[in-house]
Amino acid sequence: MTPSFLDRESTVAPPGFNRFLVPPAALAVHLSIGQAYAFSTFNLPLTKLLGITHSAPGDWDLKQVGWIFSIAIVFLGSSAALFGRWVERVGPRKSMFTAALCFGGGFLVSAFGIHLHQLWLIYLGYGVLGGCGLGIGYISPVSTLIKWFPDRPGMATGMAIMGFGGGALIAAPLSVMLMEHFKTAASNGVLETFVTMGVIYFMYMMIGVYSVRVPAADWKPAGWVAPTQPKQLVTSANVAVEMAWRTPQFWLLWGVLCMNVSAGIGVIGQASPMIQEIFAGRVSPAVAAGFVGLISLFNMVGRIFWASTSDYIGRRNTYMIFFLLGIVLYSSVPTLGHLGSIPLFVAAFCIILSMYGGGFATIPAYLRDMFGTYQVGAIHGRLLTAWSVAGVLGPVLVNYIRQYQIDNGVPKAQAYSITMYIMCGLLLIGFLCNFAMRPVKEKYHYRGSIP
Amino acid sequence: MKGRLVILWVAVGIPLLWGVLKTLQNAMKLFH
Repeated sequence: MTPSFLDRESTVAPPGFNRFLVPPAALAVHLSIGQAYAFSTFNLPLTKLLGITHSAPGDWDLKQVGWIFSIAIVFLGSSAALFGRWVERVGPRKSMFTAALCFGGGFLVSAFGIHLHQLWLIYLGYGVLGGCGLGIGYISPVSTLIKWFPDRPGMATGMAIMGFGGGALIAAPLSVMLMEHFKTAASNGVLETFVTMGVIYFMYMMIGVYSVRVPAADWKPAGWVAPTQPKQLVTSANVAVEMAWRTPQFWLLWGVLCMNVSAGIGVIGQASPMIQEIFAGRVSPAVAAGFVGLISLFNMVGRIFWASTSDYIGRRNTYMIFFLLGIVLYSSVPTLGHLGSIPLFVAAFCIILSMYGGGFATIPAYLRDMFGTYQVGAIHGRLLTAWSVAGVLGPVLVNYIRQYQIDNGVPKAQAYSITMYIMCGLLLIGFLCNFAMRPVKEKYHYRGSIP
Repeated sequence: MKGRLVILWVAVGIPLLWGVLKTLQNAMKLFH
C-alpha cells in the first residue's frame, strides 16, 4: 500500500537533505502552541462579553474564566503522557497535523462557545481539545530532532522548546492588536480574534507539517563518529517507554523537572504583584508589565542558551548549576528587596527565569542520555506529568503562603521572604535527585530490533 | 535546498523577532 502524505514512511529524508531544515519545522509548531502562556490576555475581555466595556449581569467572572488555562495545562500533561507512544509510532508529520487540528480547532470551538455564551464549550474547545493539541504538539518534534542532531541534542531540542517560550511573546501583542481591530459597539472582538487565531495557527503549524523529515535509519551527520569512549551518564543502549518509567532514573528526573518548574512557575504567576508590593510606590502596574515581559524573554533565551551549554558541560552539571545558583539567587531576593535595589532584583529574576526555561529545554537531551533515542519522545511525554504537578504546586505554595503571612500581619513587602526560602527547599530536593543520578541498569535495556 | 532553508528560517524568525521587539519595548519602561 502506498503510504499517505502524513505517514512516517513519506517523511524519510532523501540523501543530501539539509538537517537545518528540521528545527524551523519544529519551531513553527512550538511558536504556535506557546500562545498558551499568553492566554491571560483574554481573561478580562472574556468577562465582558455581554457588557462589552464592563462586566454585565450574566457575564462570567475571572475565577470561572481562569479554569480555561488550567484545564488546557492539565490536558497538555495528560495527552503528552497518553499519546507519547502513538507519536513515536506514526512519526512527526501525522502528530504535528493532529496537534494543528486540535489547537486550531480548539479556538474555533471556543469561538462558537463565545457566540452561544456557553462557558463549557470554551472549556471543551481551548481546554480539552486545545490542551491535547498542546501536549501532542509539544512532544511531536522532540525525538526527530534528537535523531537529526546526535552530536548536539541539547541545542536541537533547545531550539524547538525555545519556540514554546517565544510563542507567548508573539501571542500577547498579537491578541491585543486583533481584539482592538475587531472591536465594535456590539462586540469586544474576542470571538473574531479566536476565529482568526485558530485559522492563523492552523496554517502556521502546517509549515511544520510540510517541512518536517525524519532521517533514514542508517543516517549520521557527515564526518561525525559516535564517541567510542563511553561517558558515565550517556548511554549507547536504549530503554523502551514501558520499562523506562519503572526505573529510579525516570523518577529522579521527574523530581528534577518538577522541582525546577515549581520554583519558577510560582514566581511567573505572581511576578507583577510581587515587584509592585516589594517596591511599593516605586513600581507602577505598567512598569510591572515590563518586568513580566523581560523575565518571559529570559525564559525564552535561557532555553536555547542552557540546552546548548549542556552539550558541552553535560546535563547533570547543567542542572547542578540551576539548583545551586537558584538557591543562591532565591535566598538573596529578600535582601535585595530590603536594599531597595530594583536593577539587582530584576537581574536575579532574569537569571532565575532563564534557568526555569533551561530546565524544560535540557530535559529531552538528559532523557536521551539516560534512555537512548528509541522512545525518547514517549518517555518525554510521560515526564511532562511533572509539569502538570508543578503547575499546581508552585503557584499554590507562593499564593497561599503569601496570603497566610499577610493575614497574620506581615507587611506585604516582606510577605515573599518565607516563600523564597521554601523555593530554595524545593531546589534542594531537585539538587538531591540530580545528585543521585546513576546510569540505568542493564536489565532495563531494550533488546529487540529498533525500527 | 538553500532557498528553502532561508525561507523557512525567515518564516519563523520574523514573527519571533517581532515578538521580542514588542516585549523589549514594554520592558524599557522598567528603566525609565
